[in-house]
Amino acid sequence: MNFYIDILFWMRQKRWLLIALIYGMVMHNWVTPPADLNPAAFDALIIISMALILIITEPLPLPAIAMFMLFMQVVLGIDTANNVASSFMNDAVFFIMGSLMLAVAIVSQGLDKRLALGIIKLTGHKTWRIIAGFTAISAILSSFIGEHTVAAMMMPVGLTLVRYAHKDPKKVTGLTAALLFSIAYGATIGSIGTPSGGGRNVIMMNYWAEFGAGSVSYLEWMKYVYPMVLVQIPFTVLILLWTFKPEQSNLDSAVRKLVIDVARAGKMKAREWLAIFLFILVFLGWVFLSESFGLGIIALLGVFLYLAFGLVEWSELNRKTNWGVILLFGSAISIGIQMNETGAAEWVAQVIITNLGAVIDSPEILQGSVSVLLTGIMSNILSSSATVAVVGPIVLDLGGDQILIGFMTAIASAFGYFTAVAAPACTIIYSSGLVKSKDFLRAGWKMGVLSVLSLLALSLLWWPIL
Amino acid sequence: MKKKHAQNEPRALKFLTAVSSAEYSKLTLQLGSLIASVFDAHLGVVYVGEKANEFHGTSVNLTRQNLDTWNIIHPGMEVLEWALGELKKLNSENKDLAKITFNPDHVYEEDGRVRVILPNEKGSRVELILREGELVNELRKEIQLEAYDLAIIGGSQNKRHLAHSLIQYLPSSILVLQKFKPRKKYKLLLLVDDSKATAKSVEWGAMIAKKLNWPVRTLTVSKTKRFGSGYQGAADMAKEYFDSRGIEIEQFFLTGDPVRTFVDFAGDDHFVIMGASTLNPVKQLFFGSKPIQTLKQSDVPILIVR
Repeated sequence: MNFYIDILFWMRQKRWLLIALIYGMVMHNWVTPPADLNPAAFDALIIISMALILIITEPLPLPAIAMFMLFMQVVLGIDTANNVASSFMNDAVFFIMGSLMLAVAIVSQGLDKRLALGIIKLTGHKTWRIIAGFTAISAILSSFIGEHTVAAMMMPVGLTLVRYAHKDPKKVTGLTAALLFSIAYGATIGSIGTPSGGGRNVIMMNYWAEFGAGSVSYLEWMKYVYPMVLVQIPFTVLILLWTFKPEQSNLDSAVRKLVIDVARAGKMKAREWLAIFLFILVFLGWVFLSESFGLGIIALLGVFLYLAFGLVEWSELNRKTNWGVILLFGSAISIGIQMNETGAAEWVAQVIITNLGAVIDSPEILQGSVSVLLTGIMSNILSSSATVAVVGPIVLDLGGDQILIGFMTAIASAFGYFTAVAAPACTIIYSSGLVKSKDFLRAGWKMGVLSVLSLLALSLLWWPIL
Repeated sequence: MKKKHAQNEPRALKFLTAVSSAEYSKLTLQLGSLIASVFDAHLGVVYVGEKANEFHGTSVNLTRQNLDTWNIIHPGMEVLEWALGELKKLNSENKDLAKITFNPDHVYEEDGRVRVILPNEKGSRVELILREGELVNELRKEIQLEAYDLAIIGGSQNKRHLAHSLIQYLPSSILVLQKFKPRKKYKLLLLVDDSKATAKSVEWGAMIAKKLNWPVRTLTVSKTKRFGSGYQGAADMAKEYFDSRGIEIEQFFLTGDPVRTFVDFAGDDHFVIMGASTLNPVKQLFFGSKPIQTLKQSDVPILIVR
């Protein structure tokens, strides 16, 4: 009896794996590919749709899904083992690996206490100013060092303020939500600002290169996108204050206690200065050398320097780095490249254009709205980087200016305001247990409208004059 | 997976109470503690929190490790701290338990869970566990790991929704506290039939009734007017057992749809004890079982004995 219960329980836990496998078998063996789609492209689409089912429903660990995507390419004869292996590793994967490790190295320096003091000096004690400061600092920092790093450093500051504002967080739910969302949404809107703001930006740059669309330098990216970051900051503050209505207009007592707490850390130590100096070097490398060396290689060089100067131990990096995510992005980009090479991406793009072309006359509006809507919706279900990895090849085949469409896609992948799963910063504040899913919806729809309008303004008013 | 116990050493029963928050789990903990005292059982308290999705899991862990340096504890730890405080209040006579202090830094991570290390815990018979993931999966793992005999679960709407999975997959007996009111004078309703678990249900029912001084009723339901020898024999066995312990019982024999009859009879003033289903697991999956249907349809606490 127990044996049958164990089997049934396994089936319950793995039901989505079984569904994905059955779907794949049926599609591969019994469904005839459309006439204008070659078998290899059809198989690439089967693999990617199976992988999407598995990633969204999580019946397997991410590394297992990554391996699945790799071996299925060879098993179904889409490409040879060596070609799959070479498409697996590229500069975008190096960047994701390097930035995850840099996050560990930076967070472990304890710079968050300095950051807390800096913000308080800048903002004073008024609640609205603190929320504005949190949003602006999170946005600006996350543009350069990635939103997960910023959220990991800002969370203790935010939670300490909440703790000192009231013994019972349930009595200051508005203040708590406003502070935590200023970190999450600040980090999210900032992450589009530069290529190093998020892995998804680098994935898009990688696709541009693979698709022969040309290249965009670090500063060029900033020139195109950073105005949107700056425009969104004040509106985000207004949205958060309007939505959550903090219970206290002044955080005098909480700020004083926080200052006492962080003052115990004493003066800046040499290793903290060194950590900041090394990051500035990495940043300068990204700005001036990334076109020759690649963003990923420079990120790895930064990790090397942190290790060489003894600022972080390898055991710590090894333990705290999400290797599963690195494997997954490697394999997602690999299948993305196959989508391009087999013609699968172009076929999907043509299907979209044919079906929506009747509704939307203008090709530019069609391309823009499809890339923004498809990416925005998927990033709320999946994760922003995974969305770009999957959607990127399709939207780049929609036609039009691939660079501009790519920008739109990378920007729209940061519109994951509605759920806790889309962006790492959102997951991080959700994990505190102090904000609820419905809070994401309450503020998220307003942020969604703001971001779509900002992107529209950017593409209609700013990009044409560049 | 189950931990081995020393031979010849009588094994104390182990009960597991699932808590979610100070606000919603007070009654669950209260009854869990009461039932554990009836059986002189070890009491584990488990908090099952949401797990971050795998994409951002390490970012969340990185943040939590950073939060540790600011003395901000892991979500869920405050619930376990509250649970320990409640247990001390509820068991004020337990000197060993009173000595225990909660320290969120003294934790041990093993087998995908976090166990709070409680000093002087030897005589306290309490264990505090934090897990993250899907409720049924995590409870099942915890029950298998520590060989718990009974899982005590609050009766929120969510739990009723999960009734099928809880009953089907948890390998222990299950007590679901639907609309439990601590001040209410419950009557114990024991559902007696020819299933294997009836004997254990009778044994557990007698212990609870005796300790809590609750009146006892046994109910045997047949679909037809004829009560077979299995049913009659089980009812006789129950009567004999309660008599031998000096507990008076009222016996009822009714005809009709078993689940509907159980639910109507139980009303809102009974504490129901019934045996787990003997149907094979595949049939239970597709057609449900008496315990699953009873749990879904009734509004009283139900103990399903396995």
